[in-house]
Amino acid sequence: MTTANFSWNRPTQELDSTLEKKITYQKLSDGILISNIRLFIIFRWAIVLGLILFQIVAIVASDTLTQLGIKDQEDWPLAVTVILTIANIAYAYALDYCQPSKHNTPSINIWVQIIIDLLCLSVVVHFVGSTETPAPFFYILHIALACIFFSTLESLFVTAIVSAMYSILLVIESGMFFQVPQSMLIDAHYSGEKLHKGHILVWMAALNTLFLTVWYVVSRLAIILKQHEQHLREAYEQIHQAQIAKDQYAMLMTHQLKAPLDAIRSKINLINGGYCGPVPTEIADVLDRIDKRGSSMAKLILDVLRLERLKTAGRNLEAIEYISISSIIDKCVEKLKPVADARQVELILSIEDFRAHGIADQIEILIENIASNAISYSHVGKSVEISSIVNKNQNTAVVSITDHGIGIEEKDLPNIFNEYFYSPRAVLHNQSSSGIGLSLVKIAAANNNLQLKVTSEPEVGTTFFITFTDIQQIDIH
Amino acid sequence: MTKKIAHIDDDPDIRDTVKRVLEMHGYQVDSYHTSSDFINSLDNSEKVPDLAILDVMVESMDAGLTTYIQLHERFPKMHAIFMTSLGDTILPYFENKSQEWVCILEKPVQPTILLTIIQDRLGKAS
Repeated sequence: MTTANFSWNRPTQELDSTLEKKITYQKLSDGILISNIRLFIIFRWAIVLGLILFQIVAIVASDTLTQLGIKDQEDWPLAVTVILTIANIAYAYALDYCQPSKHNTPSINIWVQIIIDLLCLSVVVHFVGSTETPAPFFYILHIALACIFFSTLESLFVTAIVSAMYSILLVIESGMFFQVPQSMLIDAHYSGEKLHKGHILVWMAALNTLFLTVWYVVSRLAIILKQHEQHLREAYEQIHQAQIAKDQYAMLMTHQLKAPLDAIRSKINLINGGYCGPVPTEIADVLDRIDKRGSSMAKLILDVLRLERLKTAGRNLEAIEYISISSIIDKCVEKLKPVADARQVELILSIEDFRAHGIADQIEILIENIASNAISYSHVGKSVEISSIVNKNQNTAVVSITDHGIGIEEKDLPNIFNEYFYSPRAVLHNQSSSGIGLSLVKIAAANNNLQLKVTSEPEVGTTFFITFTDIQQIDIH
Repeated sequence: MTKKIAHIDDDPDIRDTVKRVLEMHGYQVDSYHTSSDFINSLDNSEKVPDLAILDVMVESMDAGLTTYIQLHERFPKMHAIFMTSLGDTILPYFENKSQEWVCILEKPVQPTILLTIIQDRLGKAS
């Protein structure tokens, strides 16, 4: 005896209550870190350029600077420039030319950048003036960046490093333990007074409090942003899963609806193929009619699935590519050739190839449906012309599909793209019309930014013009 | 030598039709109700076919695809044809598979078309 337990828990819609905890330790993805590393490298080159300009100005116009109260600088700008240049080259090299390993991750790269930047900044703060100029406030920038790019704990660590660096700098400068020669940007003559310990302690306490406050505020904001991002990601994942489930359900239903029909039609094929003995013409004719109606129904069932899929797929950016229009048209023609032959309709191609920007499957559905209609509504023995013309100046192309058939009446023309619309005239000519074909065309055109134009005259024929923009031209040499 | 064809389909009417058509044209046909029956039969070397006609949705949504992968691993040179009610709408489920290798036919297949494709495939195989 076999026993199985079943339980169907409803999927939880509530978000994990431990989400905040998780996010506290969460860093940004490597992709985002890498794009920001590149941004920081560019930003650092701008700082290096600024330092070089400063040094040139210091050499060329030292007198003017002295008049402005800025005294001669020693070698620190050159030293910082050299360090930042070498470090910047190393970051870029590690990012683009070294294999990623456990010692070469985007996170480690950013950590090294922050430590070296903080060391350089401390040198600048020391020489420019640690309590006389706004230079120490640049530390805040690093704290804010750490809050954004690192976990809360790591950003607190960065804040502690900043605090320690600034405090040590003040302690050394104030000579609390030993005397260090001063070399500040602002001349002592203008700064007015010498540093004393009380003054230093006030600065130390004030700025360290500011650093911690900034860390707290920015890290809180960063947590909220990361929470929102996580919520969005989870919601997107749920939608994605729901779409997959919906498609599978649609496939299952399609299969269940169509399978019995296929079995019936397979038996008709067997009889009409002579596998069950000779069949009187009259019966064969009736069976043909049954099979035709069955075929229309089978097409309708599959078209409903295609329509649902097209609506769900929308404009899937990942699937967009440049595709040769000639290969798409060839595929469609290959599929439709047997139908055209059966109706004695000649397919005439005149293709100027180009690469269309869109989703290959959808463009194929669009062209196949228009061409299929052109064949279905043609008069027997006529031709269907498929052509494409590239407008090189405007970088656009037009594919046109022309039939010489029953045409569309003026009153029907505005409705042809409406779902399930079909005119009695059309049904009279083509019983297998499901009314879905042009709905598929409409959605595929909307998803791929294609413009459609239709001209028609009853009993003369119809032409569909499909305009492709943003194409890639193919040079034929 | 008589070519052996395995046909897997859970629909008895389709199985019967394909068997009748192919046997009338000199093929030896082994029909299977489920994919697992077919996979189990492959342990007997006499049952290994020259070509397999697989259904996609038998037992589960993708049983046919799983069978196809197993078959391709064990017998890389054996040809297989998919015959499904879903026709080319099943294609999105064939990620990263060679289009050349995969042949998908929509049920019901006209006997003449089925025979032409089988002859073509077996011609390539030999």
